[in-house]
Amino acid sequence: MPRKSITLFQSLRFRLIASVVSIEIIMLSLLVWNNISIIQATHTDRLRDTAKSMIQQIARTSGNYMVAVDYATLEDYLGNIIEYQELSYLVVLDRDEHAVIALGEFPVQPWPVLETHPAQVTDGVFDVSEVITVAGQPMGRVLMGFSLSLMDEAIRKSRTRGISIAAAEIVLTVIVTVLIGLGLTRRLGILAAAAQKVGKGDYSIKIPVEAADEVGKTASAFNYMVTEVSNRTQQLEDAESQSRTLLAENRNLVHASLNVQEEERKYLARELHDELGQCITAIQADAESIYDLSRDCDTRIKTSATAILDVSSRIYEVVHSMMQRLRPGILDDLGLVEALKDALAAWQERNPDTQSRFNVTGGLANLGERINITVYRIVQECLTNITKHAQAENVTITLTRAADFLLLNIKDDGRGMDVSAPHSRLGLIGMRERAEALGGEFSLDAREGEGLSITITVPLTRGETRV
Amino acid sequence: MSISQWYAGKIRSACVVLCCSLILVFPVLADPEENRSCQESAPLVFGILPFISAEQLVFRFAPLVNYLSDNLQVPVRLETAPDFVEFARRTHEESQYDILFTAPHFFTRANQKADYRLIASVDSPEMWAVIVVPKQSEIHTLHDLEGKRLATVPPLGLATLLVRKTLFEAGIDPDVELDMVITPTHDASLLSSYHGVTDASALMQPPFEAASKKVRDSMRIIARTESTPHIPISVAPWLDEACAAEIAELLVNMGSTPEGKAVLQHNRFTGYRQGDPAVYESLNDLLSR
Repeated sequence: MPRKSITLFQSLRFRLIASVVSIEIIMLSLLVWNNISIIQATHTDRLRDTAKSMIQQIARTSGNYMVAVDYATLEDYLGNIIEYQELSYLVVLDRDEHAVIALGEFPVQPWPVLETHPAQVTDGVFDVSEVITVAGQPMGRVLMGFSLSLMDEAIRKSRTRGISIAAAEIVLTVIVTVLIGLGLTRRLGILAAAAQKVGKGDYSIKIPVEAADEVGKTASAFNYMVTEVSNRTQQLEDAESQSRTLLAENRNLVHASLNVQEEERKYLARELHDELGQCITAIQADAESIYDLSRDCDTRIKTSATAILDVSSRIYEVVHSMMQRLRPGILDDLGLVEALKDALAAWQERNPDTQSRFNVTGGLANLGERINITVYRIVQECLTNITKHAQAENVTITLTRAADFLLLNIKDDGRGMDVSAPHSRLGLIGMRERAEALGGEFSLDAREGEGLSITITVPLTRGETRV
Repeated sequence: MSISQWYAGKIRSACVVLCCSLILVFPVLADPEENRSCQESAPLVFGILPFISAEQLVFRFAPLVNYLSDNLQVPVRLETAPDFVEFARRTHEESQYDILFTAPHFFTRANQKADYRLIASVDSPEMWAVIVVPKQSEIHTLHDLEGKRLATVPPLGLATLLVRKTLFEAGIDPDVELDMVITPTHDASLLSSYHGVTDASALMQPPFEAASKKVRDSMRIIARTESTPHIPISVAPWLDEACAAEIAELLVNMGSTPEGKAVLQHNRFTGYRQGDPAVYESLNDLLSR
């Protein structure tokens, strides 16, 4: 399988990291926002409660001092309270709203607008007030201002700390996710590369099992699979090699058989020509002599002589026909083209309803006896098949000589054939064997109802082109 | 009836209505004129001796102060001091209070040193100091106090002066034979023996009577001192005579109005009477001790 490059969004590593980091950022942002809100609310509520508690306590405590007009003692007492860090100022007003005690950075009159919650503060100081009462009688008022700077600083620190922790967590998550992603995808990459090598036939690959996790188990399974595939493939290759050897041997045997067959046919044809042909010729000569000598004799002799002449002529025709089939003499005498023309003419006589054409390109002399007889036999087989099965109207035979190969094409417009049907393959196998015996190729293009085309390509070498 | 008689009747009726209206409206119009003297000194500071805690003091005397303020139509402020000495100093040296509600012997000194004028006195026969112990205490007589701890108010307090005099008269030297424990107020003195911090407590009889029933019922009086005139109300020398007279009149006539009666009842006083400076001259001897 070819190795395709993957886009960024297809990358498992990228998606893993992007998903984890996105979730981390969203969740941590929510968490930080929530924490900051809680911290802010906690701080403001604490300041509000602290202010309320302090001012109520001071108002209660100050009552007796206010009645006793003991401002010095009250100031001593409040002097300790003003040390409280968040307290900006503390003012005690008498019943005439005159400041009798003023501690800290107390504001000048008019007194600041009072607030009930630090969230209402706009000037950085939370201003609160409480009436001083003794036995229900108003004795004055306490004003207190609480600076928000410490609270703001605490909130800022909390926010900074929260954001820092969140950022650190995101960074750590990214690092860990990247490392895990790299480790995971690296090992998956090793698996993919190994699979590709196996696909190319390299069964020697062995993936290191780095950990006992899912990827490790996959690697182990992959190694086991590669071993098994390697064994099976080796077995198949051995079987294929044996088959190939057997096939080659069979082909050699077939080729040898064909050669022997042709040689035998050639021998038989020669024998028929040389021996039986001479005898028939002698019989005919004797029969003619008898016929001539019996001109004045008994007519029965003349009749017998005539019968002998007829029978011998008939025998000669049969023998001649057998010789042509066994070994067309014209092939040896006039060459392939003339032999094919002769065979085609003979076939045309037998099949007058089919129009045949024979096209020749290039010089076909000196192709060699093996090629000649092979081409001749193939054409002969094709014409026989067409007669038997094709019901064709047109047959075209094309023989082309190129520089280094010979091309033969026999094409008809008959019924065609189903090449998968076993009964129709025996003749084709013979043609293929003949072509391949010459190192050539055989191809068949046929569909039912659409005719049939057989093409044979035979390589030409110097040896093949010798006389 | 003739027309002239009808008109004469109508005119008489109109005159009657007019006269009645003038009678009703006049006091309202006249009030500001009458209080002009007090308004010139407003706000008036009502100084009360810190013989009880400040909170108790306000609780007890705020109605009286508010009553005066409402009727004088000037603001009246209740003030006290951290302790007897400071109260005396503010009175004698600074004349800080316009109206002075203090112990009889302190009034004598204020009168002598700062010219405070007596305008009224609490209308009760007399008052005295008592020595009380918890009911289950084995102390029954003054002599049982020998070697014991006796809580009392500051040395200048009337109760302390009266108790010391009583002890001396009984042949007991309080500076030698007793352990006098000074507490800031009468309440503190009472509660010290109530809680077992001291063996006995000395305080004036009015604060003892004003104490909670639970505390009072758990204590037993083992001795009482000689009587003294009741609390005087005096005014600062700069206060206008008319204003002083009006204050005195309000105090003396307090029992004649429902509001005044409620204030008196709250203070456990039967009323106020015109002040007689001669009554308080007897306290010079006590102060000389």
